[in-house]
Amino acid sequence: MLSRVADSLYWMSRYLERTDNILRILIMNHQSSQDNPEEFSWKPMLKIFSELDDDKIAAIEKNGRQVLHYMVVDKENPSSVFNMVSRSRENARAVQDNITKELWQSLNEFYHYVRDPQLEASLRTEDPVTVLDTLIRHCMVFYGVSDSTMFRGEGLCFMNLGKYLERVVQTASILEVKFKDKESELEMTNDTTFWKYLLMSISGYALYLKRYRSGFEARNVVDQVLFNVDFPHSVLYSLNQVHRQFGRLRSEHNTEGYARIDNLIGKIRSKIQYADVASVLRVGMHNYLTEINDDVNAIGSALNQYYFAYS
Amino acid sequence: MELFKNYPVDSRVWDEMYSQDSKVREQYQHVYDFLLQISSDELSKKEELARRLFMSQGITFTVYSSGEGIEKIFPFDIIPRIITAAEWSLVERGIKQRLNALNLFLKDVYHEQFILKDGVVPAELVYSCPHFLREMQGVNVPHDIYVHIAGIDLIRDHDGTFYVLEDNLRTPSGVSYMIENREITKRIFPDLIPQNFVRPVTQYPTILHRNLQELSPRKTSSPNVVLLTPGIYNSAYFEHTTLARLMGIELVEGRDLVVENHKVFMKTTAGLQQVDVIYRRVDDDFLDPLVFNPESTLGVSGLLSAYRKGNVAIVNSIGNGVADDKAIYVYVPDMIRYYLNEEPILKNVPTYRLEKPEEREEVLKNIHKMVVKKTNESGGYGMLMGNSASEEEITAYKKEIIKDPRQFIAQPIISLSSSPCYINGKAQPRRIDLRPFALCGPSGIEIVAGGLTRVALREGSLVVNSSQGGGSKDTWVLAK
Repeated sequence: MLSRVADSLYWMSRYLERTDNILRILIMNHQSSQDNPEEFSWKPMLKIFSELDDDKIAAIEKNGRQVLHYMVVDKENPSSVFNMVSRSRENARAVQDNITKELWQSLNEFYHYVRDPQLEASLRTEDPVTVLDTLIRHCMVFYGVSDSTMFRGEGLCFMNLGKYLERVVQTASILEVKFKDKESELEMTNDTTFWKYLLMSISGYALYLKRYRSGFEARNVVDQVLFNVDFPHSVLYSLNQVHRQFGRLRSEHNTEGYARIDNLIGKIRSKIQYADVASVLRVGMHNYLTEINDDVNAIGSALNQYYFAYS
Repeated sequence: MELFKNYPVDSRVWDEMYSQDSKVREQYQHVYDFLLQISSDELSKKEELARRLFMSQGITFTVYSSGEGIEKIFPFDIIPRIITAAEWSLVERGIKQRLNALNLFLKDVYHEQFILKDGVVPAELVYSCPHFLREMQGVNVPHDIYVHIAGIDLIRDHDGTFYVLEDNLRTPSGVSYMIENREITKRIFPDLIPQNFVRPVTQYPTILHRNLQELSPRKTSSPNVVLLTPGIYNSAYFEHTTLARLMGIELVEGRDLVVENHKVFMKTTAGLQQVDVIYRRVDDDFLDPLVFNPESTLGVSGLLSAYRKGNVAIVNSIGNGVADDKAIYVYVPDMIRYYLNEEPILKNVPTYRLEKPEEREEVLKNIHKMVVKKTNESGGYGMLMGNSASEEEITAYKKEIIKDPRQFIAQPIISLSSSPCYINGKAQPRRIDLRPFALCGPSGIEIVAGGLTRVALREGSLVVNSSQGGGSKDTWVLAK
């Protein structure tokens, strides 16, 4: 496979996963804002998922509709859904002959949907959850189509690598929303509604209820989100997928690059696999999450160097 | 019912559907009856369905303005253009004959140059053509084929006679619309195509792919064929991805390729992989910065040397522009007589060569009845329509002609045939041309029965180019 194509498939997929997560975070925050209008602020989320400075954040942090507009349809915001879907689709456009026609069409339709002025109007006046859910559904269609139509080859491996590396970063970021300003004061953040919406946003609420029967404890939520091997949005699950997908790229070519990246993936994976909530608390939640982020970035650069370099 | 009411029949124009005495031509009768049964609302819905299908499938080109890409559709008219089996047989024979002569001309002009020595084509015309590439002198190309893909443009005069308007022998585009327009017609008018015994066009990519594989210099069972595109910002990018997908070949950009030891390789995740055949959609000038335009980032350094060594096949060959130059065009009928000893089956549009003083005088005197074209431009650029241009434009053109007459040719304005188009809820005549796509491979020339019919959508306009407000139609060739 052409290096450029591998690169584009990887980023097509990363941007789409990022879109999916942003949408979920927006839903979670919107719902929290309906429960605690007094205390709720969009600030922690904006600090992590936007590039706005403190003044600009202060100007909109209490105005949900404005935040939604900024995060979803604002063309000036480089990390808006509008721009991420555009970038994902731009990458897809450059590799149309390497993805199925159905997959291209699903992404292209998503692209035209976010560009339609109707979306902006709906975000202003209609129920935000309904609007955001429709957008998430477009992401789901993409995943479904890619799963049911894509050839099980190298291309799909690079797509999945992008997807799951991005998911690690995003899941860590969702936790960061709560921990960024608090130095791992896990016990102090027993804000049950927040945890509930966090889990709901990543489809983990029902699982939590079944598994931990003792009500909401921050400690248990963190345990599920970081360490549960069967929960598809957990950090460990995603890393296991990264490991599995990358393993399929082993070949007699590029042995040096393969060994290097395999090593990096192994390291971060064991770092999570053999940790628990208590050990995370010892280094501090924020530090721990930052470390995960750095490790993923290192894998990204190595992929760039050994697999995507073409210029 | 109202669809064809008041459809104007102009005695100076050949209408594809109506004869001069306002009768529906036989080949259109079925479609005519069919369309009359559909209400205007329904037709508009079908038009909208076509638009949506183009949009969601990404059959679009992107126009970049203020940093943002806007997706545009190449306008599509829902009423098909119909060609009879007899008309097609003439077109097919004519194009094959012409393409044979043009390939022989290219081989000759880059080798012995008999045709120049015999004074049939003036040598100064060849040597003054910027697309005549000395780098190709003496280079042997596989099977002596220079033009593998030709998009020869045809028009019809007021009596229905076909004329060749221009020979596109470099990187002709539009074939994806031949294929996609047919797919859209199948969706908006189910069953209509089989009822009319329309010949299929879907085999085009298969034939092209077979031809490309046969050109491989390495004798291997699965040669590596790639399509070289200038990239996603090119207006024909959709066509490049479609063809790559339909042939199952890799779509590459210049930066994906590298030349080492006069061989071409592509950069893959598993290292370098040798390339055997390049179907390029990048112009000559941008192909190899070491030989041609040094500023080009679209090409591959060293590509020409690999080609000259015979380590890679390039389609179309390099330097074909000398054969579709508008001044050389004048001599194509002579080439046919010279190389094939046959009379041309398809006529040329009468053309004035402006470096000849007496012809220049004639043109300058009658410029209002002429269309003046730059010899090296295409796509409807560099064209003056004498009957509609302003006095200032005409004066400016006259000045340029006198300064450098080799740059121009002039032709009497040919009226172009008209065909009914669905516009604002009514059928209205619009001018059309026809670009069939001829494929020339080691086993001969094949022309898929169909082509691209371009439409000048503006009322009264004679310019069909997409850059000048043109659209297209599905083009039917009837089997009987």
